[in-house]
Amino acid sequence: MTDVAEEIHADIDALKELRDALTRFRHAQREVVERGDQEIEATRASLEGKAGRWGSLLARRQADYAACQQAATLAAEAGRLADCSAEASAVRDAQERLDQIRRWQQRVEEEASAFRGTSGRFRDLLDLDLPRTENHLLAIITGLEAARGLQVAGS
Amino acid sequence: MSARPDEDGDHLLRVIDSIWHKTQQCWLDDMAGHFDRAHWTPLLTESRSYLLALGECLELMSTAERDTEF
Repeated sequence: MTDVAEEIHADIDALKELRDALTRFRHAQREVVERGDQEIEATRASLEGKAGRWGSLLARRQADYAACQQAATLAAEAGRLADCSAEASAVRDAQERLDQIRRWQQRVEEEASAFRGTSGRFRDLLDLDLPRTENHLLAIITGLEAARGLQVAGS
Repeated sequence: MSARPDEDGDHLLRVIDSIWHKTQQCWLDDMAGHFDRAHWTPLLTESRSYLLALGECLELMSTAERDTEF
């Protein structure tokens, strides 16, 4: 028994506390992962919504511009001048904003795709590796408790 | 949990690491060294890598939102 006593230099309560803390850590980090994924999804949905709104606005402004041009043609035939520069400017403005949103959508998709690999490894750590670590600690704790029980019984 | 998820995750990592340091002070056999190398170091490395990537990703998401607020 003295050999066992000399080999074991661990506080069982401290190991139990570490194991419990690891379990809490695993659950809490799982929430972190979920929240991170939700924020990314929220941004994608938000950009999609903005692209939809600006796409509709662009279509309306293009229709307004086309109507203005038609009216301008008729006006020109009647010898009058019609100015469609405001409508043309509105179309350009909507197109630029829509282009900007689409560029961001592409960048966000690229970033989310690159992030997926790191995220997947971390999920594996939480779902596979950490439970193994907790079980490993439990085996050590069980072994220590058995050895100390024997030690007490033999002393 | 109220800050950004990567900040919360970082806080959790600091807490668990401090518990591990406390445990190390009363776990002095060879198994402790093995546990540190085989379990703890990979845990820290992978967690830090993920949280850093998450932080950068969320930063980009915020910029995307701001830059498309018309």
